[in-house]
Amino acid sequence: MALISLKSVTKIYPLGHQEVVAVDEFSLSIDAGEFVVLAGPSGSGKTTLLNMIGCLDQPTRGEIWLDGHDIGCASQKELSDLRLRKVGFIFQDYNLIPVLTAAENAEFTLMLQQVEKKQRRKRVLDLFSALGLDGLENRKPSDLSGGQQQRVAIARAMASGPAVILADEPTASLDSQTSEELLLLMQKLNEEQGATFVFSSHDPLVISHAKRVVRLRDGRLESDQ
Amino acid sequence: MDLLTLAWKNLWRSRRRTLITLAALTFSLMLIQAFHNLSYGVYSSMIDSGVRAGTGHLVVYQDGYLQNRDEKLSFDPQNLVAEIGQIDGVEAVLPRLYLPGLAQSSRESRSILLTGVDPVHERKTNPFLRQLTDQQWLLSLDGREAILGSRLLKELQLKRGHKFVVTLQHSSGELVSEMFRVRGVIKTGIKSVDRSLLMVGQARAAELVGTPDRVHELAVILKEQKSGHGVFPFLQDLLEGRQDLEGLTWEKAMPNLYNAIRLDYASQKFIFVIMMMIVTIGVINTLLMSVMERFREFGTILAIGASHAKLRTLVFIEALLLGVVSMVLGSCFGALATWYLQAVGIDMRNFISGSLEFGGVVFDPVLRASWDLPWMIKISFYLLLLSFIAAIYPSIKAGRISPAAAMRHH
Ligand SMILES: Nc1ncnc2c1ncn2[C@@H]1O[C@H](COP(=O)(O)OP(=O)(O)OP(=O)(O)O)[C@@H](O)[C@H]1O
Ligand SMILES: [Mg+2]
Repeated sequence: MALISLKSVTKIYPLGHQEVVAVDEFSLSIDAGEFVVLAGPSGSGKTTLLNMIGCLDQPTRGEIWLDGHDIGCASQKELSDLRLRKVGFIFQDYNLIPVLTAAENAEFTLMLQQVEKKQRRKRVLDLFSALGLDGLENRKPSDLSGGQQQRVAIARAMASGPAVILADEPTASLDSQTSEELLLLMQKLNEEQGATFVFSSHDPLVISHAKRVVRLRDGRLESDQ
Repeated sequence: MDLLTLAWKNLWRSRRRTLITLAALTFSLMLIQAFHNLSYGVYSSMIDSGVRAGTGHLVVYQDGYLQNRDEKLSFDPQNLVAEIGQIDGVEAVLPRLYLPGLAQSSRESRSILLTGVDPVHERKTNPFLRQLTDQQWLLSLDGREAILGSRLLKELQLKRGHKFVVTLQHSSGELVSEMFRVRGVIKTGIKSVDRSLLMVGQARAAELVGTPDRVHELAVILKEQKSGHGVFPFLQDLLEGRQDLEGLTWEKAMPNLYNAIRLDYASQKFIFVIMMMIVTIGVINTLLMSVMERFREFGTILAIGASHAKLRTLVFIEALLLGVVSMVLGSCFGALATWYLQAVGIDMRNFISGSLEFGGVVFDPVLRASWDLPWMIKISFYLLLLSFIAAIYPSIKAGRISPAAAMRHH
């Protein structure tokens, strides 16, 4: 069975008296170990899709299954538990917690899972060296470059070994060279550690690195290669 | 790194705001503790001097005497003076006789309250009598020397050593007169007392009205004012066999003083409550602002797997940290202020001339604090409780954040 499967998913947002159909009868299935990009113009529903896969939001109609869990039927508590155990998030603006150091940020989900201090520090240091962040453990986010912050965010997303890592336009705030480096890193993590990545992007660079590109238009599936 | 350290670090993100909030909490706790302790000290000394000059910390009357002050309601204390004197914590037992009458000098006459006292013990305990030298004090229980209130002396146009006549009603109903000599003068600062006080030996007074050995009041002076309620049951036990007598605490025997203190303290309490409320609103504001500022960050924290309950807990911990820090700091400063107010005090003579009268009692013009530790602890925990209460609304706000919406928020 696929790791992620979406069956005729529709998401409708109320907007005043009108309704916005952000995702329309969308079906897709993603297996473990894939490296997928959701591509499409602005407003095509990429973020909405990622949010639903990531248990931040629930579909209006249709079914979403994540690693055997039906997201549409889950309670708030179950959703937050799924987010904690199954999903890692990477955001466009990194969204690190400014008062915590790089290592503390990366440890955050492990702390929420009540992993013991020594153990989580070890896990994070391993990830840091894989991500080329050695020596930056005790820096605050404000003392890191954008690329470094995003790498810390990747470490945070990967630390608890989630089933899937969702990245909403992870390179949109970075220059092309840093973006390239970051993509290569994630590719490496995908290949070496078997982590599943689902991106959203309209950046051709990101799209060129993907093994599979799913194109969206107006909330519908346009193509899947 | 856990929730506690995260909360602590969060507090210092907006350092100025946190410091101002802490200062407000700390300062108000300090003020409340210091003012309470000051009142506590002033009330205690007021009560003590009030009861020493008045009915005593505890008092024994014939049933009904307190209500109508009928001089017929005298009683024979038998062994009570000695027995009460044996109770642990009792400093002295003062038998007193109160007889309304008339004092006449060669020029004037005035109505008076003749008070028959035990000269030895009365002098030791009554703060107003300490101003008198040995030559000015009554010599004996049954002598003809008298101590007069300063105003009475003036109105009768007498001087020390002069003679005057006191007329009283004998128990048989007839009028009796006796000559006394002015021995000493006291000035209490309370007009009604200074105008009517006339103190003589208890035996002489009792004999004059034909009721030897009888008294109206047994004033029980305690070594410590605070021990009153501990000693009272023992007094009650002793009075078991005397159905005609009643034992009272000073609160009942001197309702004017008691109510004046209660009223005064109630108004102070009201100010305390207002202060606490204002401070709480400040804390709510601080917490709410910090939650609102972190809207997006809270969205992130929720997105990466924290539950809403965790977020609410975080807000509560931040509030409790504010509370604990200001509880500790405020209590330290409160203790410091109390210490100063106890050691140095506030000299009211700088502000008010003349004697200070309150609830019918004259008190020391230097106001001094006294430690009320249990209360200080209690109020500092109230502060902690308030910071907890202040966190309720902000934490509900934080608990309602939808991560998807918060992430879109810029
Ligand atoms: N909370 C919301 N309320 C109303 N409409 C929404 C909401 N969220 C998204 N939409 C609408 O749904 C559609 C899809 O939005 P979405 O953010 O998923 O697009 P996107 O592909 O991520 O765009 P971008 O590339 O600009 O990030 C848009 O038309 C958007 O306006
Ligand atoms: Mg988007």
